[in-house]
Amino acid sequence: MSLTLASVLFKDYRRRVLGLLLLHPGESYHVREIARLTDTVAGTLHKELATLAKAGILVAQTRGNQKLYTANRECPVFEELASILRKTSGMVDVLAAALEPLSEQIDTALIFGSVAQGRETTRSDVDVLLVGTAGFAAVAEALYSCHEVLGREINPKVYDKREWAKLIHSNNGFALEIMEKPKMFIVGGSEAFEKISRYQSAGDNT
Amino acid sequence: MKKLVGISLQEITPDWEMISRLLTAAARNLSDANIVEISLETRFDAAYKSILQSANAALQASGYRTLTSKPGHHQTMIQLLTKTAGVDRETIIVLDALRRQRNVVDYSGDIIPASAVSECVKQATCLLNQVSQRISDQKAD
Repeated sequence: MSLTLASVLFKDYRRRVLGLLLLHPGESYHVREIARLTDTVAGTLHKELATLAKAGILVAQTRGNQKLYTANRECPVFEELASILRKTSGMVDVLAAALEPLSEQIDTALIFGSVAQGRETTRSDVDVLLVGTAGFAAVAEALYSCHEVLGREINPKVYDKREWAKLIHSNNGFALEIMEKPKMFIVGGSEAFEKISRYQSAGDNT
Repeated sequence: MKKLVGISLQEITPDWEMISRLLTAAARNLSDANIVEISLETRFDAAYKSILQSANAALQASGYRTLTSKPGHHQTMIQLLTKTAGVDRETIIVLDALRRQRNVVDYSGDIIPASAVSECVKQATCLLNQVSQRISDQKAD
């Protein structure tokens, strides 16, 4: 769903470039670096980058004989664009694609913590909660490829449905905070998640 | 590994008594990690400690030790397991994820899910077996 949203809003190259630069606003990249990290072709990228810089969404700097591009935080719609990308093509898409092979074993996957709340620093991990039958090792292996793409470490918390519901029922602070604070859904939505969290198996009233 | 000498490693002559003590400690921590009555967090810590002790034993048996004054020596010991104990890349990925899981808990007070505990115990068991076997082969040579 989120992939469709992002691809409807932005053309392919634009989506990839903005996804990289606006979600790493402190970083400068040269064209070949952008091409490598976004899996695009440097030749075609030049024009796209120049257009975005001309519009004031990116800032272009020349260092030596290299042109460096960085996100323009002063752009009046920087926050809004970054927020759209965070919720669409940015992390959610990358994580959703990585978790796809495990989709049958995941009821809910979501980002919580500083990234979901938009108060992340360049060194923040991406905290991911997964509820389902997938094992820790399978999740760790599936998410491994995302580290480089997102430029962040990903820290998964993998819960069985019953274990998660138990935490909610016991008013565990960590679990309740996830319920209350902003989150970004990767698999499943808020309704399904509420349902899982209220889940009580027969005869289990703890 | 020679490249890391002076950066994160130091060359040593293996002290087989110390290595055997590390493996004994790794086994003791692993058996503690299997006590289901204690908290998930403590079981996880014990299993993780066992992993580090096995990794350290493998490293020392290869003639190195980490410079503990440098940050990241847990990560170094885990990453080097491919060389020191022939551990495959998929396993390193999982061990490294367990390491991060522990770091986060130490800083944030987050809780440890049962899935991470069972994986940590499983990995600790495999690693201890693999390293013990390798070391007894090395000593036999």
